[in-house]
Amino acid sequence: MKRYAYYLSCINESMTKEVDRSIELWQKDLGIELVKLHEGTCCGGSNLEYVSPKHFALVNGRNIALAEKMGLDLIVSCNTCLMTIRTAKKKLDESPELKKEINEILKKEGLEYRGTSEVRHLLWVLVDDVGLDTIREKVKVPLKNYRIAPFYGCHILRPSTVLGHDNPRDPTSLDQLIEALGGETIPYTHKNRCCGFHTLLVAEQESLNVAAEALQEAIESKADFIVTPCPLCHTSLDGYQAKALKNAGIENSIPVFHISEMIGLALGYSAKQLGIKRHIVC
Amino acid sequence: MTVSTDQHKEGKKEVTFRVFRFNPQVDSKPYFDDYTIPVERGVTVLRSLNYIKEHIDGSVSFRAFCQAGICGSCGMRVNGLSQLACTTQVWDVLAKSREPGIIKVEPLRNLPLIKDLIVDMDPLVGKMVHYSNWVDSTMPEAQMGKKEFLISEEEFLRYDKATDCILCASCVSECSILRANKEYVSPAVLLKSYRMNVDSRDASHDQRLAELVKDHGVWDCTHCYRCQESCVKSIPIMDAIHGIREDAIESRGKHDTSGSKHAEAFMTDIEKKGKLIEATLPIRTNGVVWTLQNLLPMAMKMIMKRRTPPPPPLVKSVKGIKIFRAMFKEMTEHVKQDHKSHNK
Repeated sequence: MKRYAYYLSCINESMTKEVDRSIELWQKDLGIELVKLHEGTCCGGSNLEYVSPKHFALVNGRNIALAEKMGLDLIVSCNTCLMTIRTAKKKLDESPELKKEINEILKKEGLEYRGTSEVRHLLWVLVDDVGLDTIREKVKVPLKNYRIAPFYGCHILRPSTVLGHDNPRDPTSLDQLIEALGGETIPYTHKNRCCGFHTLLVAEQESLNVAAEALQEAIESKADFIVTPCPLCHTSLDGYQAKALKNAGIENSIPVFHISEMIGLALGYSAKQLGIKRHIVC
Repeated sequence: MTVSTDQHKEGKKEVTFRVFRFNPQVDSKPYFDDYTIPVERGVTVLRSLNYIKEHIDGSVSFRAFCQAGICGSCGMRVNGLSQLACTTQVWDVLAKSREPGIIKVEPLRNLPLIKDLIVDMDPLVGKMVHYSNWVDSTMPEAQMGKKEFLISEEEFLRYDKATDCILCASCVSECSILRANKEYVSPAVLLKSYRMNVDSRDASHDQRLAELVKDHGVWDCTHCYRCQESCVKSIPIMDAIHGIREDAIESRGKHDTSGSKHAEAFMTDIEKKGKLIEATLPIRTNGVVWTLQNLLPMAMKMIMKRRTPPPPPLVKSVKGIKIFRAMFKEMTEHVKQDHKSHNK
C-alpha cells in the first residue's frame, strides 16, 4: 500500500463532496492510501499569488511542509490547487531568501519547508505510480459502451514550466486512463481548453461562452459524458451547464463526471455510492 | 546531440500544406487548398509558403517580412497552434501532425480576416491606443534631449522580458476570453500596459490603471495561461497580468471593483478560517442584488442536490488555526516592513 498526503481542496469540502467520497471508496482497491491533511489551508485559488505574494509563499510552503513532516508526497485532486501549490514550490525552491523567511515563521509550528516532497495530481499518481496495467486488471465493469470526452482543464497543463507532466498542446494521461478503464475517448479539440470557472463571478457572460463551447463540442461529437480531473471545471461544466447552454441557444445537456467517479464506476461501485446523483446534470 | 538514423536517411519529403483560403471580395465561404511540395529538413513553414507562392499559386496571401523571428509579421496557426511561420520547422510540425504528411495552415483567431492567412491588426492597435501603450514622459518638454533618464537595473529587470514582445498576436489568437468577447483588452495589451506602468519615466500610470480595471480589462482574465504557453518569445505574460492586479489592489484599494473584492476574499478567508467561505463569495464580489438576480435559480437546484456550500458559521476552521493565524499575522508585519523600506 503506497501512502500519500492528501490535500483537502476547499471546493471538495463544500460543493463537490463526491470527489473525496468516491476516492475513499476505491483507494485501497488500487493499492494507495491518501492520508488527509486536516491542518492544510486554502491555497489561495490562483488569486492570493498577486494579492500578497509573501502570504502565498507562506501558506503553500506550510501546506507542503506538513506533507514533508510525514515524509510523503502531497497529492491534489483540484487542478487550480495543484498549479497554485506547485507555483509556490517553484518560487521557494528558486529563492533561498524567501525559503529562509518563511521557515523563520514556520518554526513556530515546528515545521520546515525543505523542498523534499513532490506536489502531484491524483491523475498523475494513477497513471505513473499505480500504473495503467494494474488499473486494467482491477476493472470489474469496463466502460466499453461509453464514448467519453476528456476535458483536462487548464491548471493541470499550463503553465508547462510549473506543471510539466503532459504536453499542454496534446495531453494524453486522461485519455490513457479512460482507455485503461475500457472506455473510448473521442477526438475532442476542447480537451486542453478552458472551462471559464475563474471569471464566473467577475465576467459571467464570457465565462458562460467559454463553458458553452466546450459543452457544445462534446454534445455534437455524441459523447456520452465529459470527464474532468478538476472539481472547478466540473462546477463550471455541470453546475453552470444549463445557464451556459441556454445562453448559447443550445437545447441539450451532457453529464460531466469527475475522474474519481469514472474510476469508481469501472471498479464496480454504484452511481449512488459515488455521489453521482449529486450532480446538477445526471 | 544525437540525430536518429531515420532523419539522416530522410533528408527530403513530400509534404502537403493544407492552406486556409478566403477572399471576402470573391468567395462566399472559406475553403482549404492542398499544395504538395518537396521539403528538405531544416526548411521552415514560411519558406514552404514562399515556395508555394512562387512556384504553384501566386494568389496565396500571407504577411511576412524579416524571416528571422524578429518582426512578428508571420503569426499564423500551424496545425492549430498560433506561432511564427518563420521560426517553425516543417520537420518538427510534421512529427506531431494528426494526419500524416499534412500540415494545416490557418490565420490567427480573434482578429478580423482580411484574406487567406492575413488578419487585420487594427483592433489590436486600437486597444494599444486606448490603454496608452507608450511611455508618456514625466520629463518637462524643455528638458528633453538635455538630460538623461537613468534607470536602475532592478527596475529594468521588472519589465525586461515584457520588452521582448514583437506583437505577433499569437497570444491574442489563443486567448480564451477574447474568443468569448472581442471587446476584451487582450493579453498583448495587458503585457504592454504592465511594462509602461512599472516604468518610472512614465507619467500616465494612474489613468492607465483606471482604464485597465474597467469592464473588459485586467479582471476579466480567467488565468487559463494559453497566452503564456503560446508566446513565441517565452514571456511570462501571466506575471504581467498578476502584476497589474497587485498594483490595482495596492493603488486603488481592495474594494475598487468586483475583481479586486473577489481576489481579496481569498486573503481574508484564509486568515480567518484557513479555508474559503464559498457561500458568501458571490455576495462579497458583486453584492446581494446581483447574486439574487444571477444565481438564485441555480442556487435552488443546488439546494435540491445538497450541493450548496455551508453558511459561514458552519465552515469549520482548519485544525491548528490559532497558530496559523499568528504566523499569517507575522507575515503581514514582514510585508509592512517591505513596503516601508521600498518607499524609502
